[in-house]
Amino acid sequence: MLLIALAILVVIIGFVIFTYNALIAIIESVRNNQKQIDVQLDRRFKVFESLIEVLKKYMDYEKSVLSDVTALRSQSQEAKAKGNLAGQMAAENRISGILGGINAVFEQYPDLKANQNAMQLQEEIVSTENKLAFAKQAFNDSIEKYNATKKSFPTNIVVSAFSSKLDFDYPYWSLGSEDDVKAKDNYTVKL
Amino acid sequence: MTAALNQYSESASDWRAALSRNSRRTYLVIALFILLYILLGLLIDTIVYFEISYHTIPPQDIFLDLITLKLMPRVTIVTALIGIVSLIVVFMFHDKLVLMGTQYHEITPNSARDLEEKQLYNIIEELKIAAGLRFMPRVFIIEADYMNAFASGYSEKSAIVAITRGLMKKLDRDETQAVMAHELSHIRHMDIKLTLMATLLSNIMLMIVDMLFWNAYYRGGRRREGGGGGGYLMLIIVLLRYILPLVTMLLLLFLSRTREYMADAGCVELTRNNEPLARALLKINGDHAENTALYTKEYNQSSHDSLRRTAYFFDPTVAGIKSHNALGEWLSTHPSLQKRLAALGFTKKL
Repeated sequence: MLLIALAILVVIIGFVIFTYNALIAIIESVRNNQKQIDVQLDRRFKVFESLIEVLKKYMDYEKSVLSDVTALRSQSQEAKAKGNLAGQMAAENRISGILGGINAVFEQYPDLKANQNAMQLQEEIVSTENKLAFAKQAFNDSIEKYNATKKSFPTNIVVSAFSSKLDFDYPYWSLGSEDDVKAKDNYTVKL
Repeated sequence: MTAALNQYSESASDWRAALSRNSRRTYLVIALFILLYILLGLLIDTIVYFEISYHTIPPQDIFLDLITLKLMPRVTIVTALIGIVSLIVVFMFHDKLVLMGTQYHEITPNSARDLEEKQLYNIIEELKIAAGLRFMPRVFIIEADYMNAFASGYSEKSAIVAITRGLMKKLDRDETQAVMAHELSHIRHMDIKLTLMATLLSNIMLMIVDMLFWNAYYRGGRRREGGGGGGYLMLIIVLLRYILPLVTMLLLLFLSRTREYMADAGCVELTRNNEPLARALLKINGDHAENTALYTKEYNQSSHDSLRRTAYFFDPTVAGIKSHNALGEWLSTHPSLQKRLAALGFTKKL
């Protein structure tokens, strides 16, 4: 009898340790994926700056594009410093919209298409936007996995027992409020 | 070719269901392989003990004793060890074998010669992020006109993806990305390891059965007397010799097709889009149909093509291109184009 009770106890403790460690691994992957987004955001801004350098030589471009993007970038940085993820998302999503517009402008300038440098930068922009999108996707997928694991039974019992270490509320990376989406759609790039 | 996709009605691709369904099938096939392997070892053990006992103990009793471990299944243990050792050896050399006989060159961020090669590298780097891989596979271009791609490498560190020049030239960015996502999914799902393991196990089994058959044949020829159950042991061996090759081949083909569906679903999982992959499949199929004569020559020119056959994105036999290696020719390692498209959510309109 005692042996059986002991065996059950060992199984329960084993389960708790296993679940605890598994959840910690998932939480760290969510954090890592969030950092990956920041890496790509940073990289995108740098590529954008060099693109503007090349474009300057070709046309009288509207200075507003660069200043708009720079303003949005610092707005996003500020929000991030304050820990306001929603604000950061909104600002960065609007930059995505502007860069999409730049690609459309590219098509209208045959001169630009002949410039190897400009073409390379355009490819970099496309690639970086893709990387960003995939990084967000990986981030959201890891949150999905975290939430599904956290809420499933009997894992949820372990989570509530160690809620300070295991229970977090990660928001999905989304397009933000309707106003943000509208502002992004209405923006037209003039070069 | 894009017009061709208009003939299909589109629906969403349920990649989550496709992944779990096909991974269940894989477990089944692998379990069957291991079971067959162990059974074969036990059969030899039975024969050995039967001979040692001078045909006094009926084989079925020996078999029961072996299963319940009253008798030590020595041969089974030895064959299992042989299997494990040869698996390790093959895994060590496989990634060097797979590019054998082709003209290829590697792309790195520094060695990319033009925008197109840089773009290919970028595409794979993007997918690496989508897949959350911790490593960047090595990227190779094969200098050939036919459109194909494959992945290899049994571990994360030795992973490679290879793509032909023809594919790179004829597909647009999204389509190339879809093909590469399919290949990266093979790596993520550890398909190379899996198919190699299954192929190797089945080859060892066939070798053993062959040895058993000829051994029994010569001994049977020398002395006709063989009482008490020796007769149906012989019958089992003869049956095995003719049926086992067929069974393992069908299992291998089933496994390979299952993994292709999984890689297609994995591609949709990574890119969250089923259309570019469907477009790429149609384009490649059309291209193979147009250049059948030329490509047959090119495929056969690159030697050791059978090594890559199962790893290919597109099996040339689907488009009617035959290799000079005749075994299992009419059975394709890949599902048909229509079935692959249907699994992606594209069914042909009537």
